[in-house]
Amino acid sequence: MGEAVQVVELGRVPYADAMARQLELLEARRRGEGADVLLLLEHPAVVTLGRGSHEENLRVSRDLLRAQGVELFEVARGGDVTWHGPGQLVGYPILDLAARGARDLHAYLRRLEVLLCEALDALGVPACTRSGMTGVFAAGAPEGRPRKIASIGVGVRGWVTWHGFALNVDCDLAGFDCIVPCGLAGVEMTSVAHELGASAPPDLGRRARDAVRSAFLRNFP
Amino acid sequence: MATVVRLPELGESVVEGTVSRWLVKEGDRVERDQPLVEVTTDKVDAEIPAPVAGVVEALLAAEGEVVAVGAPLVRIADGSPAGAGAALPAKPTPAAAPAAPAPAAAPPPQARVEEPPRATPVARRVATQAQVDLAQVEATGAGGKVTKRDVEAHLRGSRDAAPAPAARAAVSVPGESERRPAYLQYALQEGDRVIPMTPLRRLVAEHMVVSKRVSPHVGTVAEIDMAGVVKVRDAHKRAFEEANGFGLSFLPFVVHATVRALREFPRLNASVLEDAIVEKRDIHVGIAVETEKGLVVPVVRHADRLSLAGLAQAVEDLAVRARSKKLSPDELKGGTFTVSNPGRYGNLYGFAIINQPQVGILRMGELVKRPVVRTVGGEDAIVIRPIMHLALSYDHRAVDGAPANGFLHRVRELLEEAEFDL
Repeated sequence: MGEAVQVVELGRVPYADAMARQLELLEARRRGEGADVLLLLEHPAVVTLGRGSHEENLRVSRDLLRAQGVELFEVARGGDVTWHGPGQLVGYPILDLAARGARDLHAYLRRLEVLLCEALDALGVPACTRSGMTGVFAAGAPEGRPRKIASIGVGVRGWVTWHGFALNVDCDLAGFDCIVPCGLAGVEMTSVAHELGASAPPDLGRRARDAVRSAFLRNFP
Repeated sequence: MATVVRLPELGESVVEGTVSRWLVKEGDRVERDQPLVEVTTDKVDAEIPAPVAGVVEALLAAEGEVVAVGAPLVRIADGSPAGAGAALPAKPTPAAAPAAPAPAAAPPPQARVEEPPRATPVARRVATQAQVDLAQVEATGAGGKVTKRDVEAHLRGSRDAAPAPAARAAVSVPGESERRPAYLQYALQEGDRVIPMTPLRRLVAEHMVVSKRVSPHVGTVAEIDMAGVVKVRDAHKRAFEEANGFGLSFLPFVVHATVRALREFPRLNASVLEDAIVEKRDIHVGIAVETEKGLVVPVVRHADRLSLAGLAQAVEDLAVRARSKKLSPDELKGGTFTVSNPGRYGNLYGFAIINQPQVGILRMGELVKRPVVRTVGGEDAIVIRPIMHLALSYDHRAVDGAPANGFLHRVRELLEEAEFDL
């Protein structure tokens, strides 16, 4: 393995630019160049459709989205439809799983869930996973009303990963209203700020990035 | 020489993937390492690269199709003559990682893309059926080819000398027994006819095994007096056929009653997760259709929003296109409940296997006139009525007996009341 994962914070990046950046890193990694990278960033409002998407999980027309300034992308990641926007921390790990001796796509998903739970724990939000529903949920939700706090959708080309996870830090949860997140009807979306309520610190964004960064480096040494 | 690219091992718990998108088409020239197809499992979309350069000869799985690990995805011809000494074995580079050897116990996937040993076509078929690795068979045929006789001799030998390679191939690898069905060894006899499974047959077979394993099936049957339905159908038969160009069968009536009952019993329109049950808002009914190629289950979307005539048209359209293989993969997905109409004579009733991840399937029996007891003018009398049995298989993880029977009873009421407007 050798080198540690490089964590690069990019700030707010348009979706298409972030995709181009990922592809560049991905192709370099496939050629055996560079190190594993974690990109941390956020997007302007955008809706993306993964390969598992069902059109009916888009609640509004494509035209209406466009009129609201929300871009729409169909991307080569697993999972259904999702929303990204300001206040949501997006992580794109470009990892060579083969070089890490970790050729197991489901194990990779589980590892992402674990690190997000750890980061949330550090932020004071108890979180859990649910079997059969990849992603991370606020713990203690009543039966049948899961509250989802982080989404996962991954692509892999030649065992090198791209796409990744999105943690709702203090985003406007109304952004999700135009979709059925991940195609899971009956799942409510929540955020760190929403869970913490009045106790949310003013520098939550910074703390969230730090928590995710250190949890990531612990889980992918 | 052609190389068959198969779905590689993608992780310990990954037993299958869904072909989400083809990135090449038949006739395309591809470079080694070029992404061929995207396969989705859980929330991962994996691109499968070409292990060799060549021309795409055939796509062996459709978009939307669920393929098992090891199942063929695409055949690539590299342009060299078959069996030529100079032909390079299809060896993936490290960069072609998903096709590269998986660690530990998993069999090296590249063995699957190598040119198989020389064998006669018949021998190859027999070996495939019996799950014999041709490389383990002693060849006696001309030019070192494995013959059918060789495979049979190998099978006979492996019965005595356990654990012979063939026997090992037939029983599942330790730790795999949880996820792969074991096939019992059978030594071929004189006169047996070996029919290799088509990809669809394999898919159906695996789906059935998985469903029976994960889901405790319970069956319950109702006897339905179809007199009212028969009356409505007879009254509209001719006009319907003239207007639509096809006959009105009993199936749309049953689907119509089913979707209305499902609205009242959402627990039957559900899926089971490991620690939750999902009741679905939308009702999409799968209709089991027998085609030349095998069983397919196209889906009538939002079936509860359709009138009886609308259902009849939707069902007819899907059935016709299923038989002419013109369904898009989307039309086979997303069902929330299934109705099966085997429609053969001599079928009183039977319990279908649940179409996962649904929790219920209704199977229609044959409609026959039967003597039944009815109270006529205060007196019990034996009368002749058109009777059909409806058999419901339900998943006891999600549904208990009372709601299941309540649902079936409601279907019966709706059919016996026969308030259909055409």
